[in-house]
Parts: sequence; structure tokens; C-alpha cells
Amino acid sequence: MRKTEITPIKPYLLDRALCFIPMKWSGDDRKDSIERTAVPFQQGGSDTVAVSNSQTHIIILGAGKGGTALLESFLNLPRIRVLGIADKDPGAPGLKLAQLHHIPISQNPLELIQKKDIHLIVDVTEDPALPELLKQHAGPGTEVLGGSASKVLWDLVQYQSHVQAQLFQAEKLAGFGTFASGIAHDINNPLYVILGMAEAIQEETDITDIHQQATSIREAAKRIQAISQDITQYARASSNQEAMTVYIDEQLDEALKIARFATKLHEITIHKHGQDGLTIYAKPEEILQVFVNLLTNAIHAMEGKGSLTLCKEKKDSHIRISITDTGCGIPSENLQKIFDPFFTTKPVGKGTGLGLYNVRTIVRKYQGELKIESAVGKGTTVQLMFPCFSSN
Amino acid sequence: MAESTAAMFGGHKTNGRVLIVDDEPDVRKVVRMTLEKAGYDVIEAEDGEKAIQVINKDENPLILDVIICDIRMPKINGVEAINYFQQQYPRVPLIVLTGFPDMDMATGFLKKGIVDYLVKPVEKEKLVGAVAKAFEQREIHRL
Repeated sequence: MRKTEITPIKPYLLDRALCFIPMKWSGDDRKDSIERTAVPFQQGGSDTVAVSNSQTHIIILGAGKGGTALLESFLNLPRIRVLGIADKDPGAPGLKLAQLHHIPISQNPLELIQKKDIHLIVDVTEDPALPELLKQHAGPGTEVLGGSASKVLWDLVQYQSHVQAQLFQAEKLAGFGTFASGIAHDINNPLYVILGMAEAIQEETDITDIHQQATSIREAAKRIQAISQDITQYARASSNQEAMTVYIDEQLDEALKIARFATKLHEITIHKHGQDGLTIYAKPEEILQVFVNLLTNAIHAMEGKGSLTLCKEKKDSHIRISITDTGCGIPSENLQKIFDPFFTTKPVGKGTGLGLYNVRTIVRKYQGELKIESAVGKGTTVQLMFPCFSSN
Repeated sequence: MAESTAAMFGGHKTNGRVLIVDDEPDVRKVVRMTLEKAGYDVIEAEDGEKAIQVINKDENPLILDVIICDIRMPKINGVEAINYFQQQYPRVPLIVLTGFPDMDMATGFLKKGIVDYLVKPVEKEKLVGAVAKAFEQREIHRL
């Protein structure tokens, strides 16, 4: 039997798209349902991520090429459960596939959709009478997505990219929350100097002392100005920025400035190795976001004390950037989950659980790769690989 | 009481001796100006390590009446320095003066028995008030 023609999107896109289904299609409390049913990424087929006990329940109507393609995709996703598939044609290919996987089949769509706990009905029959029937018979809280299979997939991906854009911004803003006390610290110190020195000048008569105090005030104000520049640069939205040649060194330095705010105590030695002047082709803000996230994680892992090694090199047709910290490391049971959206080990209010998820999304966008090696108590190395950008 | 100990040193009449530990010279200068105006002797240390040296250098370390300590400093940071002071010199009252408006950190320190957790930019009346309160504690300990 010929396989389906519908392969318009890469599997990981579908994976990402379906990740957010519960946000819209399960009637539960929003945040909670995202956490429980978010579909984890599958990396290189090694899908060992634990399946949560909560799944998104889907019924597929139509078992032709489109329905079969959807069924195949859904079967690979651990947190999606197909409760049934229907087609008027008993010889439809999707029905046979479903039988192989012990999924209930039917020739009558209405029979299936009256099942309990259906989150989503995907109707790819293109039967004009069906939408009205579904409206009447589907249970409350069940969403219906209809049209051709490719349209359904497209809707999912569109929905996903919309959510993705919001997540990028949300994570950035939430990240600011964790930076806030660091920023406050760096502003409060010079502010104290300014106020104290100004008060002193009011009562001072010695002109030499007044000059010195005025100099201190100027220097303190300049420090505040520098901080203000750093943070506004990072806060700027990236959506309307164009991709361009991005210097890795520049973005790493920028990111270090921002990541400094992430910790109260900073006694971190920074070592930089490798080649300077390496470039990739990307949106600078996105690369900055990747580095800020990774460096912040590294600094947090070291709890303000340790050594951070940054290495950049060009190897064959790739640019490799590695970030190594001497922090607490990641337990092996968490290594599989760190890229899951909303996975975090930080206390409530301190982390969104979106940092690494967003990092990976950006890296993949530029056909890059991301590897993490970690030893508990010793430290973590994050390796980024981007394909070389050739100016020719 | 404090007057008598301080008198042994400066020879002039002071309300007592305060150590300010902060890595920023200008911050130390502002604290010094504020406290000297209020009649205290002020000595400075630029980080936790120097502070520990200062407090151990004198034959009689109790000559220090109050320690005001920053948190983010190189070498030995404020958290470590405060732990050290509390273990070695439990009777010297401590005040934290930091740029971090951090409730968790403040409650943590206050539970451990510091006199006050002050966030920069602190008004001079508040700083002088905290030092005066620290002196009261010091007096109670001495009785």
C-alpha cells in the first residue's frame, strides 16, 4: 500500500504543534493542564520520557490518506491517545492501521464521538453534513477541528507558532523578575552614593571636598546609566528584527552583562577560549536570548561561586560554542526533562520552566544542535553547534 | 560603657566604634560621613576577608561595637563573613547594609539574630537609628 502524500511539515514541528493542544482543547484549568499534558520533545528517536498519567484524547473522523497520516503521527506522541477512528469505507487504510494498534474503529462517526472524555475531534472527512452533526452530538468541552488533513496540521502549527511567540516574550519578562533584585542591587549602590554625597555637599564648605563629592556623584550616575542601557537592550522585542550576521563574541559579552544580574553573590571567574570573530546568520536578539538563558542557568547552578568557561571554535562546516560551569550539575533523571516546557527545578516564582525550551526552539530554527552533558556535583557543559554561514 | 572603651583608643569622646564592610569605597565614605556626624568612630574593610583580619588584629577584638556588612563582595562575601562573626564574636551586633531588596534574605538574617537588614539607599536617620539600636543590644550583652 502506498503511504500517504501528506508530509508537509517536519515531525518536530508537528510535535511542537501538538504540545500546546491542551491549552486550547482540554477544558481544564489552563496552566495546570499545560503542565500535565504538554507533549515532550522526542530527540533522535530516543523517546524515554515518562508519560504523564494525563493524556489528550482525540477522535479521528476519516481514515483515508489524511486520517491515516494523522493517526500515524499521533501514535508516535506519548501524551496523545487516539480513542477511535471512523470511516464509512470499511476498507479505508486508517482503519486497518488502527486495528493493528487496538484502537476502536467504526463506520459511523456518531458512534465514536459520544464517548466520554474526548478533548478533540479531528474531522478530515470533508463531508459537508458532518460539522452540523458534530455540533449536535459532541459532548460539552469537546473541540472540533475540521478540514483537510493538511489544513488541520497547518492550523495546529499556526496555533503553535502564535503560542511560541508569546512564550518567548513571557519567558523574557518572567526572566526579568528573577533579574529584578540583581538590577535593583546594581542601581541601589550608586544611588546610595549619589544621595549621600549630595547631602554632604549641602553642608560642606571645603571646595576640594565638594569637588570630590561631585565627582563621586557623576561616576555613580554613569554606572546607573550603563545598567539602564544594558537592560533596555535586552527587553526590546525581537519580533520585527531581521536576521543578519551575528558576531558570537558580541552576543556572549552582552549576555554576560545581563546574566550577572541573576545572582546575589558573584565570584565567578570567566575563561574564554577559542577563535574570535566567528559569525552566524540569525536574529541577534534570539542568539542573545539563547546565551542569556544558558549563562543564567550556569551562574545559578554555581550559586554565585565557581568558574565559567566559554569556548568558541569553527570545526569543518560548523561553529561550536560550549559553556561549561562548575556548578551543582543536573541529575540524570532530570536530563531528559529539561527541555520540556514548564519543567523547572526552581521554586515557584523563580523560574518559568521555559528557558531551555525556548533555547532549543531557537537553536533548531537555525538548524543548530544542542547537547548537554552533566555530572552531579561537578558541573555542566552545554554545547551549541550552528552550521557555518558563508558570505559567498 | 561604650564611651570608656572608645576613649581608650581615639582619646576623644565618641559613642563607640563601628566597622563598615563594603567593597565600594564611596559607599564606605557615605557611611563614614553619616556615622561620624552622629559621633561614632568608623573603621573600614573592603571585603569579608579584610574584615576578619581587622577584627582579629586587635588584641582585644571586643573593641568593635557594631559591624555593618554588605552582602555582595569579592573573596569572602557578606553571608560567609556574617556567619564567621556570629560564630567567633557572637556578642558583636551585626547590621546588613545591601542593595538587595530581598525579603527572603532579610527574614533569614533577622532570624539568625542580626539587628537590622537595611537596603541601600538608606536614609541617614534610619542608619543612625539601627546603629543606636545595635548599641543597646551590645549594652544588654555586657550587663
